[in-house]
Amino acid sequence: MSDHLLEVRSLSKAFGDNYALRDVSLTVASGEIVALLGHNGSGKSTLVKVLSGVYQADSGDVSWGDAERPTSLHVVHQNLGLIGGLSIAENIDLATSHRPGWIVPTRRGKERREVRDRLRLFGLDIDVDTPVGRLTAAQQSIVAIARAFQMGGSGRNVLVLDEPTAALHGEEATLLHDAVKAAAAAGCGVIYISHRLPEVVDLADRAIVLKDGEVVAEKDRGSFDQSDLVRIIAGGEPPKHHASTSAASDDVRLKVSDLYAPSIRGADFEVRRGEVLGVAGLVGSGMEALNGTLFGATTAASGTIKVDGRLVGASAAQAVDAGVAFVPADRRLRGSIGQFSARENLTLTSHSGLLSRLGAIRISRERTEATSWMGRVRVRPLGAAEQRFDLFSGGNQQKIVLAKWLRTSPGVILLDEPTQGVDVGAQTEIYRLISEAADEGAAVVVCSSDSKELASLCDRVIVFRDGVISGQYSGARLTESALVAATIADGAAVPKEGVSS
Amino acid sequence: MSQEPTIRSRVLRAIGFRNASAIWVLVVIVVVFSITIPETFLAARTWTSLLDTQVVVAITALALVIPLAAGSFNLAVGAQVGVSSMMVGWMLVSIGLPVVPAIGLTLAASALIGLLMGLVIVRFHIDSFIASLGFSSLLAALVTFMSGGRQILGMPSELVDFGTARVVIFTYPFLILIALALVCWHVLERTPLGRRIYATGGNLEAARLAGIRTNRIIVGTLVACGLLSGVAGVLVTARLGNSDPTIGPAYLIPAFTAAFLGSTQFKGGRFNIWGTLLSVYVLAAGVKGLQLSGAPTWIPDAFNGIALLVAVGLASSARLGGRPSLFERLRHRRVTAQPLEPLQQKDA
Repeated sequence: MSDHLLEVRSLSKAFGDNYALRDVSLTVASGEIVALLGHNGSGKSTLVKVLSGVYQADSGDVSWGDAERPTSLHVVHQNLGLIGGLSIAENIDLATSHRPGWIVPTRRGKERREVRDRLRLFGLDIDVDTPVGRLTAAQQSIVAIARAFQMGGSGRNVLVLDEPTAALHGEEATLLHDAVKAAAAAGCGVIYISHRLPEVVDLADRAIVLKDGEVVAEKDRGSFDQSDLVRIIAGGEPPKHHASTSAASDDVRLKVSDLYAPSIRGADFEVRRGEVLGVAGLVGSGMEALNGTLFGATTAASGTIKVDGRLVGASAAQAVDAGVAFVPADRRLRGSIGQFSARENLTLTSHSGLLSRLGAIRISRERTEATSWMGRVRVRPLGAAEQRFDLFSGGNQQKIVLAKWLRTSPGVILLDEPTQGVDVGAQTEIYRLISEAADEGAAVVVCSSDSKELASLCDRVIVFRDGVISGQYSGARLTESALVAATIADGAAVPKEGVSS
Repeated sequence: MSQEPTIRSRVLRAIGFRNASAIWVLVVIVVVFSITIPETFLAARTWTSLLDTQVVVAITALALVIPLAAGSFNLAVGAQVGVSSMMVGWMLVSIGLPVVPAIGLTLAASALIGLLMGLVIVRFHIDSFIASLGFSSLLAALVTFMSGGRQILGMPSELVDFGTARVVIFTYPFLILIALALVCWHVLERTPLGRRIYATGGNLEAARLAGIRTNRIIVGTLVACGLLSGVAGVLVTARLGNSDPTIGPAYLIPAFTAAFLGSTQFKGGRFNIWGTLLSVYVLAAGVKGLQLSGAPTWIPDAFNGIALLVAVGLASSARLGGRPSLFERLRHRRVTAQPLEPLQQKDA
């Protein structure tokens, strides 16, 4: 029909009443790199899932090239799906079909030669017997791309790369960019999902911005720069959730000096009583590792962390004793005991006040306490204190985890991605709980990849970049677009404010 | 829905098949054998001896429940019973210590073995499965060292008397079992410590991040397990009147069977004391009935094996279980090991 490898027309997909995709159209031509941009939840991953057949679209259609030469799609996820203990050749071999016989020995020599040649094409000259686990992150990504090609054979291919450079820096990212260019040069169409605007400007033939499931902009190479993209992605300013009790006290509750950890290269900051501090940054910038380090979940390489003058950071137990609460991003794996009831999860941090004189837990009192807290944080269903934790919805689970800590009246509350995977209603309530805790005197640190969340919830936001604090925003300068610019653009794109590097 | 279930519905739920299948299995066993072999199966002596002979298995199973609740396997528990049994005989007969210090030292040594095992697991990050397997072999060596491969005979009469004395119909060892079960139940189910033990077993990382000192919990449960298996070992020697170097490992499988079967009872997938104790006696009643019916000697082992597989299988297929069943864990492993995603695509 046309020379498009892939053509998407008026695609829509709704979950309940919420449109994840609305009337999305796009094309990918041979040799073209199309960047797909947008916030978390803007519909990028839904689009990929519809394309790869995980979801069925409600309406619209997708055509895959012409009938005699159909296009095949290959998705390289952020989790590359490589097996660390196997060699490069073995990993790629997993993608090869071995008809007629799975039991016929593989032709190792030929296979290894082919793999080596293919990797050279992508700029990776390496011994193919190296276990994948020993490769650098960029090398692994290239192996994953090569593997996707192996499946495609010599046909027409569209390659979807989901944030391939999220964990890469400098040289490493360049290595990957070259591989992507090589793939496009070989006639492949590339859909490139990224949060990093500089590389998008450099790499993409076309940039498509999604917002709330709709295509809000489509720009060809040369017709956009980073500041255009920042403006389109950020859009309007969200309402403020924590009207900072302006006279934020001078009482410093959390003081971090000279902190070094695996992905943090020197951080100094303070959080005062009643203040909500946001921490922005991309994955790998140090943002996602900060709270865990402050809490002592992972120990810092060096530096001091003081809570109300007490030194912490050695272990989680020590932090809890000092009055620190930590709500991890993954509440299922790290924040809760799934098979415990809501009641047992809620009281796990402290049983004082619930004990009989013999030191036994008084279950009836515990249940009353749990029920009252679940009411305060508005967990649905009401009164379900005995329900197993993992049977609650995401938003309610998060409220229970929050309540578990709020019960202990913590002086410092550390939250990672507090509203990830949480519905909008629960999101508002979680913001309310965080604000109230701050108003009651806690110092709050919110690490989030959602700039809108940080802009609306926090009194002050610090931005991490390559392991160091690259900027600080507060008051009128704390806007979503400023944060978007500071985290994903290379800095020069928008007026920088209050930067103290 | 009503928030406060009525007493009747709570009782019905508590003894329902999903919650306490072992009770119903026990009922079936009793009914069947009462019909087929009433004169032997219903004799009072059959039951009093059943209570007594299972004491060591029961205490070993209790010992095992504690680290299992905290998420550690202890495959050395049989060997620990064996060491304790041998050590008390060795101290009494070969060294000639009086009874009380011999028992005291034996129990202290048993706790120490648990401590060492716990420290190895926690400090060197060795999986409990492997660490306890290694300890099992070490302890077997210790047994051979003390015994020279031979039984130690001639236990002092105080010990033997204690092992067989009765209060009304219950032997002293059985009363010790009940006392230990009460203590373990109280600690595991009613105290903050117990809650932390279950939390550690339920999700180690989440427990740690809730401020629980999980390493101490793990080591502590293994010390308790060592102590209890020490008690079991002393009772073996007291009841038999000798120390047998081959006896320990035989307790491992029955104890595991009871602990796992017990975890399917009452607490919806949590390892627990009363479920374990019930399981010990349900299994023993079944085996006893089969033996009295003149079943061949291989039947008891087969019965235990089938009981374990069926009980655990039923529990996990009904998704009662909190602790993921072995099946679920394997399935999970397979999912994560799989290369991701349908990279292949369709044509228009």
